[in-house]
Amino acid sequence: MISLLKRLFLIIFINFIDLNIALLFSKIFIIIPLTFLAFSYYVYKSDKNISSLEAFSFGFFVDLISDSYFGLNTIIYCLTTYFINQNANSFKLFSYLQICLFFGLSASAYVGFSQLIINLYNFSYVTLLVSSFANIIFCFFIALIASYFPKRISIKL
Amino acid sequence: MARAAPTPGQKLSFIFFVILSSLILYIDITSNNFKSIKNGFKSFKISSSYIAKEISIEPLKSIISLSKSKSQLIEENKDLREALELSYLNNYLISKENIFFKDKEIIKKAHNENNYKFEYDIAYLKSIDPNMYNCCDKHRMFIDIKQNSDNLYVESVVFNTEGLVGQIIGESKFYEVLLLTDISHSLPIKLNSSEFFCNAKGSGRSEYIICTYNPLVWTKEIKENQIFYTSGLGGIYPKDIEVGYVSSIEVVDSTQTNIEIKILANPLNGNIFGVLRY
Repeated sequence: MISLLKRLFLIIFINFIDLNIALLFSKIFIIIPLTFLAFSYYVYKSDKNISSLEAFSFGFFVDLISDSYFGLNTIIYCLTTYFINQNANSFKLFSYLQICLFFGLSASAYVGFSQLIINLYNFSYVTLLVSSFANIIFCFFIALIASYFPKRISIKL
Repeated sequence: MARAAPTPGQKLSFIFFVILSSLILYIDITSNNFKSIKNGFKSFKISSSYIAKEISIEPLKSIISLSKSKSQLIEENKDLREALELSYLNNYLISKENIFFKDKEIIKKAHNENNYKFEYDIAYLKSIDPNMYNCCDKHRMFIDIKQNSDNLYVESVVFNTEGLVGQIIGESKFYEVLLLTDISHSLPIKLNSSEFFCNAKGSGRSEYIICTYNPLVWTKEIKENQIFYTSGLGGIYPKDIEVGYVSSIEVVDSTQTNIEIKILANPLNGNIFGVLRY
């Protein structure tokens, strides 16, 4: 129960940051879905498979707190969870670069899908391409931080 | 540790939830069925953030603002008080309603001609010993004249918003003011009718000066509460400025009567003074 609450608060916190930086980056056609990336990372790092119900619940909760259409995040979260669960063992063979590419591209897919749903009339390929590029770089950056900096803080979820 | 690949059952559950999500998404886009849930959550978010803010941030903010506003208020109060005193001082000489001059026509004329000849400089109190002022003979204070031009201020008249205070007798870093109540001070005064003149010496007591005269020479009867004005005879104080009123009369003998005059101005009231140049 405490673990669940911890995850929920973490999701709320990351979503709060996500909403705040979205305003800043939208001016330069960049969308970095921090909440989605955080959830993907959680699924990736988990020792056991994340259930579809958990993915659905988290997606629903994110839909609620981010004031988007119900179902938008749940679909993507369920699909991402399934895909990561399916390839969890394969990821161990991948390099950091490949994993970063995977997360960056899945974030781009998220951006594309969410833009199709919530911003169909103003869908921009520029935003999609620039965001893809930015998301991949962002994932590299996070991987570099994780690799080169000492792990002083570890959050056990 | 290796993670087991999703079983067919798990795959089905994922498919089920994806279809369910798609259905929910379609319903949400095409209808407003989830509006109440969203609005409920929004109101909960707003109220909870408000409550959280009230509990956590507001008390801290109030403590900080209290300490800040307290010092700010003190500063503002000081500034306002100074501005008020200055305005009083400014209005004191030019006001037709004041009691500074006996002859209100002086003000009236100056007002009509738009020509005020009562120039004065502003001075701030630097030090005064209230204990000495209330107990002993030597009544002095030190002032700092702000609009200090090349004027020589020695023997200039010092006044505050209540009336005459004294005269400048010394000039060093600050100006030394000999107060009216100092026993070495002598002020030529007269009655309104100009039938009685005398030199009022400082009593050494706060707010009182004493006029000693020979009743055989000045036969005019003096009553209590009669008002005395400067006579202008000493050449220091301008003529016809209200000084104070008779508080008591003491007949010492047939040749000497002491009149105790309570002066209008108390130098302890206020920190701002005017130094009259005329």
